[in-house]
Amino acid sequence: MEPVILGLVLGGLYALLAQSFVLTFITTKTLNFAVGEFVALGAFATIAVSSWSWLPGFGRVAVGFLAASVVGALAYRFIVLPFTTQGEHDTRWLLSTVALSFVMLNLITNVEGPSPQRSDTARLGGSVDVLGVGVSKQQLLLAVLAVVISLLLIVVSQRTSIGLVMRAVSQDPETTSLMGISPRLVGMGAYAVAMGLAGLAGVLYAATVGASPVMGAPLLVASIAVAVIGGLGSLWGPLLGGALYGVLSEVASFQYGAIWGETAGLLLVIAVLVWKPEGLLGRRMEVKL
Amino acid sequence: MSTIEKSPPTSAAAPEPQRPRSHVRSALRGDVLFAVVAFGVAVLAILPGRDGAGTSISTMQLVASMAAMTVAAVGLNLLVGYTKLVSLGQGGFYAIGAYASAYLTLDVGLPPLLAILGALTLCGAIGAVVAVSSMRLRGPQFAVITLVLAVLVERILNEGNAFGRLAGYPNYAEHDTTSMEPVSVFGITFRPPMIAGEVATVMVPIVVVTVLVLIIARNIAKSPWGSSLSAIGESEMLAAHLGVNVFRRKISVFVLASVLGGLGGVIVTQAFAHLQPETFDIYLTITIVLAVVFGGSGTILGPLVGAVAIVWLEQSDILAEIGSFQQENISDTWYLSTSGLVGVLFILTLFLMPRGIVGTAGQLLATVMRRRAAGPDAASAEGTAGAAADQRAEDGAAAATTSTGQHARVERPPAASGPDTAEPMLRISGLSKNFGGLRAVAEMDLAVDGGQIHAIIGPNGAGKSTLANLLTGVYQPTEGTVTFLGRDLTGQAPHHVSRAGVARTFQTPQLFHDATVRANVLAGFADTGRTPLWAAALKPPGRYRRDAEMRAEADRLLDLVGLGDVAELRASELPYGKQRSLEIARALAGEPQLIVLDEPAAGLLATESVVLGDLLLSLRAEGFALVVVEHHMDLVARIADQVTCMDQGRLLARGTPSEVLSDEAVVAAYLGKPHEEGTH
Repeated sequence: MEPVILGLVLGGLYALLAQSFVLTFITTKTLNFAVGEFVALGAFATIAVSSWSWLPGFGRVAVGFLAASVVGALAYRFIVLPFTTQGEHDTRWLLSTVALSFVMLNLITNVEGPSPQRSDTARLGGSVDVLGVGVSKQQLLLAVLAVVISLLLIVVSQRTSIGLVMRAVSQDPETTSLMGISPRLVGMGAYAVAMGLAGLAGVLYAATVGASPVMGAPLLVASIAVAVIGGLGSLWGPLLGGALYGVLSEVASFQYGAIWGETAGLLLVIAVLVWKPEGLLGRRMEVKL
Repeated sequence: MSTIEKSPPTSAAAPEPQRPRSHVRSALRGDVLFAVVAFGVAVLAILPGRDGAGTSISTMQLVASMAAMTVAAVGLNLLVGYTKLVSLGQGGFYAIGAYASAYLTLDVGLPPLLAILGALTLCGAIGAVVAVSSMRLRGPQFAVITLVLAVLVERILNEGNAFGRLAGYPNYAEHDTTSMEPVSVFGITFRPPMIAGEVATVMVPIVVVTVLVLIIARNIAKSPWGSSLSAIGESEMLAAHLGVNVFRRKISVFVLASVLGGLGGVIVTQAFAHLQPETFDIYLTITIVLAVVFGGSGTILGPLVGAVAIVWLEQSDILAEIGSFQQENISDTWYLSTSGLVGVLFILTLFLMPRGIVGTAGQLLATVMRRRAAGPDAASAEGTAGAAADQRAEDGAAAATTSTGQHARVERPPAASGPDTAEPMLRISGLSKNFGGLRAVAEMDLAVDGGQIHAIIGPNGAGKSTLANLLTGVYQPTEGTVTFLGRDLTGQAPHHVSRAGVARTFQTPQLFHDATVRANVLAGFADTGRTPLWAAALKPPGRYRRDAEMRAEADRLLDLVGLGDVAELRASELPYGKQRSLEIARALAGEPQLIVLDEPAAGLLATESVVLGDLLLSLRAEGFALVVVEHHMDLVARIADQVTCMDQGRLLARGTPSEVLSDEAVVAAYLGKPHEEGTH
């Protein structure tokens, strides 16, 4: 039971990050391979303002969110958008976001140094008992937050016109712009929210493990795996994917050792992609001639 | 080909027999020149290490790193550059090749050459597994699955005890040494560049292998096998209609790329005799991608130029100096060092030089050449080609037999005159297709013979294009059968249909926009789907002849459709109407017996539509069977022998054009009848 509960909790962190992949994919059909660095950016931005005693803890977390969100919007405008102009087979954005990740990682390392820094903002000490298993409050917070934010995004996308706009932009940017909606602004908005979420995850994660430039790299692979398992086009996907990936990798590493945990999770991605390339909850797009 | 010599020496045909042979000669000259220059450069590269001077060790190591990166990048280029599959996993295969060849030698005890072979086989096998499992994916999902592979490999190397973890491989704890024994073959020991005074003999096989890989990759890129990769990159559906088994070809190219990635790793093992897991990280896999993009993806020399440039940049002091320059002049902490600068370089390349160094240079060169070539040459070409096209349009069959056409297509008796005249060339019976609850095509019958034009008309949404797609294998029919030349083609994949002799054109022309008009036609030959990989790689003498033959035939087809004077232009530079003609020429190149044309006149000017009609009539005269989905009634009325009108997936009327076009139900379907509006 213990690895299952821990897996579910761990899956929450991945799901939160996976949600940022899904958000950008639904609106712009792109993924930001630099998400890991936005995690670190959020964490360090919060640390940078941690000495401002007039700012309440909530405000410091918001700084982490906003810093990642502003850089995220700019990244879309200048690093992603210019490389999506050649139709749906254009994958240059993939390379440009990978390059962005190099630049950001290098810059953060040079500025902040490679070793982890302690972050006290938004830290919940201690653990709670979940079905007889002790779970750290901080990790539980991440998991609960992932669920809450996912539900929020789903409600917003179903109940308001924002969801419609997002889907319309991804399906046919040209027609959408004729309807008076700027695909560029919508894309920037999606990146702002998505990278903000990554920053937020970074702030909360850093409170447990400390902030370091490379903190996001391992999360990148796991969360992209989660997003792909659930389906890049589904806001429910990250929750399902996170739960499956988290539980499977925890159980496998519990039984066979840490390296098997990750291997099992990644093999799950391959299995899902082979069986359902669009992800478990994704919808298949028909090719039209 | 003896028939070439037998061509009648008329004034018009006289220069043509010369052409294939001169093409063979110039192709051979080009290939020999490439090989000579490549080996020459390779010799120059390892010349500084000839006496084993201590000062040359670092140079030789640099050359070895460049060679390893080049080989891996050449492999990746086949995927990224030609097939347009962005793989982030090449670093993984590189690592597998390096570690497996070392492990099989040291821990398993295989002879070194066998170990290398085993490592490459392992890379190919893993590549095949990844390929089979990811072949339905494109774009980001494909990149993710390959990235997952690279990450897995990295983790296993870093955390697997068998590979010594951070102690590297080999290490003192397990092997009592930190460097591999040099490989000895036939008494020659291939020493790595490590010890001063010892000649780094391993450099010779390293550069030879690199040059061979470049030559093979060049052969492949220039072969029909290479055009099939470009076709897949453009559109898998298009490639399938050109007779390419897309699934198998994608697996082959991925396996080939994986083996080359592994070979890069083998070179590293041989050159450095020791492996450290942290050098095989994600950064490596991205660097290989950068090498391809920076040098020029989809070009032959791009990977080489990119790999040499990137390795040199990383190992030289330039990046470090730029880093410290920033520190001194901008900020002590807000600066970029090597990996960040590589990232910036990557982004700048994508912005400023999306075709990479070689691609951009090639583009500039082509512009200059074309500007120089324009003038007297172009004018005369236009004259002769135009005349030839006119003549052939008037008398298609005769013109085809008297030109270079020693091809089976013209001599092949039309199926109609075959023994069983009772059975038409194409017979569709009871064909239906459901999409969910929608019955797009319902119980359609159709029979078309050689030398016949069968037009399919009907209002929008009548199921005409769906019928065409059922016929060429895009969709699986729900019910019914398709029989072509007595063969059952029901539900066959597009490449089978294409190979059986059915070609098609698309509603919106699907061309290789960046390729020349001639290259577009060349891609239409059956060779694109049928050339085996070994033949593409090794380029046997027959290939030269066949290439020249194909080129002559492509030029003839271009003349036939009136594009003889623009063979060197890029397809995207053609006006829309001519793009349609080009698509027809490409369809003809596959030597089909039946051509399915999906709205060939859509978007054409009235005059262009008349020319198209002439062309289709001349094809009919040559014995082709044509199925034409069309809206232009004047064209249909002029060319069609039989007209089928569809409405809501069903047969509405059939007969001669005048019968069908005057049919009340047909008129009603097109214009609507007020009192029947409620029917569905």
